[in-house]
Amino acid sequence: MRRMLRLFVPLTIVAATLVTAMIAAPAEPARTFDLKSITLQQAASMVQQSAVIVSLVAVWMLAAVALTLMSGREVRASSTEVRASALHCFTLGLVAVTSFVLTAIVFSYLIPYFIGVPLLFALAVFAVITKIYGMVAVFHAVGTLVAGARSREHLASRKWLRGDLAMAVIGALLLGAIRLIPVVGPIVWGLASVFAIGSALATKFGRREPWFLAWRPAEA
Amino acid sequence: MKTDSCLRYLEDPEANAGHLAECAECRALFGEHEVATKPLALDALPLAPWEGATHRAWPLVLGGVVVALIAAAVLCMIAGMTPLHVVESSFKSVQSMRAFVFTSADALRDASRGAQLAFAGAFLAVNGVLVALLRRSPRGIDA
Repeated sequence: MRRMLRLFVPLTIVAATLVTAMIAAPAEPARTFDLKSITLQQAASMVQQSAVIVSLVAVWMLAAVALTLMSGREVRASSTEVRASALHCFTLGLVAVTSFVLTAIVFSYLIPYFIGVPLLFALAVFAVITKIYGMVAVFHAVGTLVAGARSREHLASRKWLRGDLAMAVIGALLLGAIRLIPVVGPIVWGLASVFAIGSALATKFGRREPWFLAWRPAEA
Repeated sequence: MKTDSCLRYLEDPEANAGHLAECAECRALFGEHEVATKPLALDALPLAPWEGATHRAWPLVLGGVVVALIAAAVLCMIAGMTPLHVVESSFKSVQSMRAFVFTSADALRDASRGAQLAFAGAFLAVNGVLVALLRRSPRGIDA
């Protein structure tokens, strides 16, 4: 039984990775980037894409600032989890994304029976909240990894580059800048999203409480 | 507590402080113990995640947000896009995801009984693994 489980978990993770990759893969095949053969229309399309990405990064930064101000401790707990057990967060994120997709398909299947609509709506809301919260935690983790103080003297000598808010903003700026890079950017952002969902769920949105209560018989 | 002198000490330890020198039992109970301790160098301890965390670096935060907003505004102006266009474009991925889910649900409805059972098995397996992974307590600061 244990051996079966040992085989079962990695196989499920591989399946989850494949499903996530299928969903994340672009609909059109990637075009080769050649400056000489680029047309004016393609250049305009690239500028439009960049404008959309930068606008979204600005919105992400506003979300990061608001969420860190509202619940800094929770964001910090999830960020610590990303750094302390990255593999667990990544695995959990992959499995959670696959679970969201499969559950969404099941709920869509139930739409003719009416119950599917509210369930699908609830799932979408939960997925969006998980993604937003988790991304802010990942911004904080990236900011702390790159610009976090390593010692007390280091921390004391800093005037601006300290605190949760600064770390979240630096992480958002960095990931946003990476997202602008063709091909690499969407992959890195996609991986960050997987980490984000994993860290949000692993820490129960930073509350560090168990998701399920353990059953124990009442003592007489 | 054997003698009257012990009781007197208990009632007023400061007035009868000399009792501790006479009675070994009271000394063992209330006397000062010399516990071997090592000097603790607080600065040598690793930096905790919450140290300095509540500091709000407003100039950096406002600077970062303003730079991002200005860059977005300039790029939108160059590309000739309105905020509505940006919102529409950003929802493209959501629409493709929605299309994928509905197409898959339709395909599942038309699929054979075997395929539907296989999907149900995959659904249960993935959610089972998710529950198993969620049962693990977070490491966080204990790592």
